[in-house]
Amino acid sequence: MATAVTAVSALQGALAAEDAAIFGYGVAGAHLSGSHQNAAEQDWTGHNQARDTLTAMITARGAVPAPAQAAYKLPFRVHDEASAMELAAYLEDGVARAYLGLVAVTDKQLRTFGATAMQGPAQRAAYWRGSTQAFPGLVS
Amino acid sequence: MPLLFATAGCRSSDAFAGPDPLSGRPPLSHDVVTLQAIIKAEEALVTLYKTAIAGHFAGAPQASVLGPLLAQHEQHLARLRARLVIPSGASSPASPSASTAPAPSAAPVTTATLRAAEDASATSLVQQLATVQPSLAQLFASIAASDATHAAVLGG
Repeated sequence: MATAVTAVSALQGALAAEDAAIFGYGVAGAHLSGSHQNAAEQDWTGHNQARDTLTAMITARGAVPAPAQAAYKLPFRVHDEASAMELAAYLEDGVARAYLGLVAVTDKQLRTFGATAMQGPAQRAAYWRGSTQAFPGLVS
Repeated sequence: MPLLFATAGCRSSDAFAGPDPLSGRPPLSHDVVTLQAIIKAEEALVTLYKTAIAGHFAGAPQASVLGPLLAQHEQHLARLRARLVIPSGASSPASPSASTAPAPSAAPVTTATLRAAEDASATSLVQQLATVQPSLAQLFASIAASDATHAAVLGG
């Protein structure tokens, strides 16, 4: 029998995705320059702010936010500007997918929060990829 | 059992003069009604893009991006229509064959028009996803996010 997604587990999923993105932007940023590096710095800051928001939301529900890992496995080797941009898009896709998990919970406010929060990563993924997607966070 | 058949068989047609619970139309669920409204709005967006592409677009620098955005709206429409299940005998749904052709005498569509339509669609989808079943809510959220990326491409 399928288990309903709980609010805390969905929030923890989003937090884990934000932590992974923060780590990943650290790697990507080292291979970017100019406007791309500025964009990566802005995105890194945004993910840090989102992590703080999620941490507070989990704590407010009486749970303990899962700590970030010291390092995360990257999906491919990042060695130049192109692969760094590809990594940034990959990270944003993952964050959008994690917020979409919040949209499946029964709490209406959390649903709305998740749906609104996933728009930022979807827009950033489109920036890094150079094209939009029909179904961010879902299998097309 | 034979007694039951005999009893029923002896009744005259007058015995069936009461209400007929079998002939009524089943009420549409909240999800279906919501989905119908979302489909209608998506059809309007497709029409707007087709109008722009048909030569009524007043923002030439962005004209090359409209084709891919229209294609994604058509994907939204197809996915939404696939989720629509109407019970037999219920009032007719938003027609799958509803025309999305551009209006022949449509006024020029500006970048601002398209951007506002994308923003409005994203806002509406987020507002309506709170009350539908989870998988439908996720589809609405994903489409809303896609619309938000379109607005950004159009300068939002």
